[in-house]
Amino acid sequence: MRVRVDLELCQGHALCREEAPEVFDVIERPGAYDQVKLLAEHPPEMLRAKVEAAARHCPNRVIRVEG
Amino acid sequence: MLSGAKPGSGHYEEFLAHPALLMLRAWRECGDFAEFDLGGMRNVLVVGPDALEPVFRAPDEQLSAAEAYQYMVPIFGEGIQFGAPLEIERQQVKMQATALRPDRMKGYARIIAGEVEEWIAGWGDEGERDIHHEFKELVLRTSTHCLLGAEFRNKLSEEFGALLHDLELAVSPASVLDPYGAEEVFARRDRSRARLAELVTAVIQERRRTGETHPDMLQVFMEVEYLDGRKLSDDEIVGMVIWIMFAGFHTSSNTATWTAVELARHPEFAAPVAKEIDSIYDAAQGLSFASLREIPLLERFVLEVLRLHPPLVTLMRRVKSDFRVQDQVIPAGDMIAISPYVTHRNPAYYPDPERFDPTHPLPEHVFAYIPFGGGRRKCVGNAFALLQVKSIFCALLKRYDFELVDAPETYRDVMPSLILQVSEPCRLRYRRRA
Repeated sequence: MRVRVDLELCQGHALCREEAPEVFDVIERPGAYDQVKLLAEHPPEMLRAKVEAAARHCPNRVIRVEG
Repeated sequence: MLSGAKPGSGHYEEFLAHPALLMLRAWRECGDFAEFDLGGMRNVLVVGPDALEPVFRAPDEQLSAAEAYQYMVPIFGEGIQFGAPLEIERQQVKMQATALRPDRMKGYARIIAGEVEEWIAGWGDEGERDIHHEFKELVLRTSTHCLLGAEFRNKLSEEFGALLHDLELAVSPASVLDPYGAEEVFARRDRSRARLAELVTAVIQERRRTGETHPDMLQVFMEVEYLDGRKLSDDEIVGMVIWIMFAGFHTSSNTATWTAVELARHPEFAAPVAKEIDSIYDAAQGLSFASLREIPLLERFVLEVLRLHPPLVTLMRRVKSDFRVQDQVIPAGDMIAISPYVTHRNPAYYPDPERFDPTHPLPEHVFAYIPFGGGRRKCVGNAFALLQVKSIFCALLKRYDFELVDAPETYRDVMPSLILQVSEPCRLRYRRRA
């Protein structure tokens, strides 16, 4: 499984971190939206359900799960 | 250029009558880059998702929202949103997003659930109601409660709602051309805004005096700081409150109204949604817990409502420097119009676009479905709005079935302001479920 995020469209709502903190963190950016930080581009298969939930819950649909 | 332009005014009269239908006609006649004329201002409606993508990704310096939305400045106030410089506005939007963050959402879910349960308590086994009127009342209560606290909601939400309505009446297609005209509607807007400022400032000052803190959005606005460490002034807080109410109140109540109408119109889709709610609802844990869970059929149903009835019919950007997109160059000075209403009726992505069908999968293309806009300026209240509508329908569908009172075709999209609404009266009959 490979995870991609479109940082340009991320507004840092942090719902992904709620779902899968092993894979997504959110960093503060002064003067701009907070932004997701991908902790694992190839997370282990056991996290698939959580990663897919994170992608579904993203209000901006910036998370793609491939493979 | 779209046909039917009149000398001098262009398509302005048609725009006044029903902006969504004007733009739908423009797209059908002219395609993905459809030009129309509003009293000498050239507008280009951009429709296809591939054409929209660069528009949504463009920086403000090239496609300016601020210049397109100056008519909102007398509503929100000088120094707020597009009445402030870009770098200040950016920080203010982030403050709005902070007030709506997921860690605060659980508290709002509890507030909303409490309001919904109280509101529904007197409904009895069956009856008939004007559902739009009902949802305006309810969403006014939930919004003022989440935003300004329990006390304000109990004492002042009615007056607050009436004042807000005065502001809304002043946002018309006519105000887009001149929001400072001599008409009574604008004078009333200014009086009502001043009274709103009094009401909100009184709460702020009372909180400062007592040092009490509350789990609402006002508290966030009182605590957040700009990059330079400065806090929002009282005036700015008033502007933030009006802004967030404006963004959330009518959009949410209209979406709830259309959701109820479509449930009543489509019992074949409503039945599985009600069953789904039965299966996830746990009486011991209550409504607020349920509304925070995934409820896929209900969520998809609401998204279909937002597809056919997106509350904001058009988004605008002023072109600051020649904008190249596909084989087009849209010159500086033009206005770009984006219309969720039109984009959501594109048969390339929705095979039978006018048909309400919550079983059809939404397109993969992020910019083919844009009820909350898109890109850097996408609505930051997206998740909060869905939470609110889910909470309302969890409670309602657990108890009741809905039926139309009037003929199905009489429930129509109308546009008395720039926000899409349901025609009035909007009567539904409800019956306790067997």
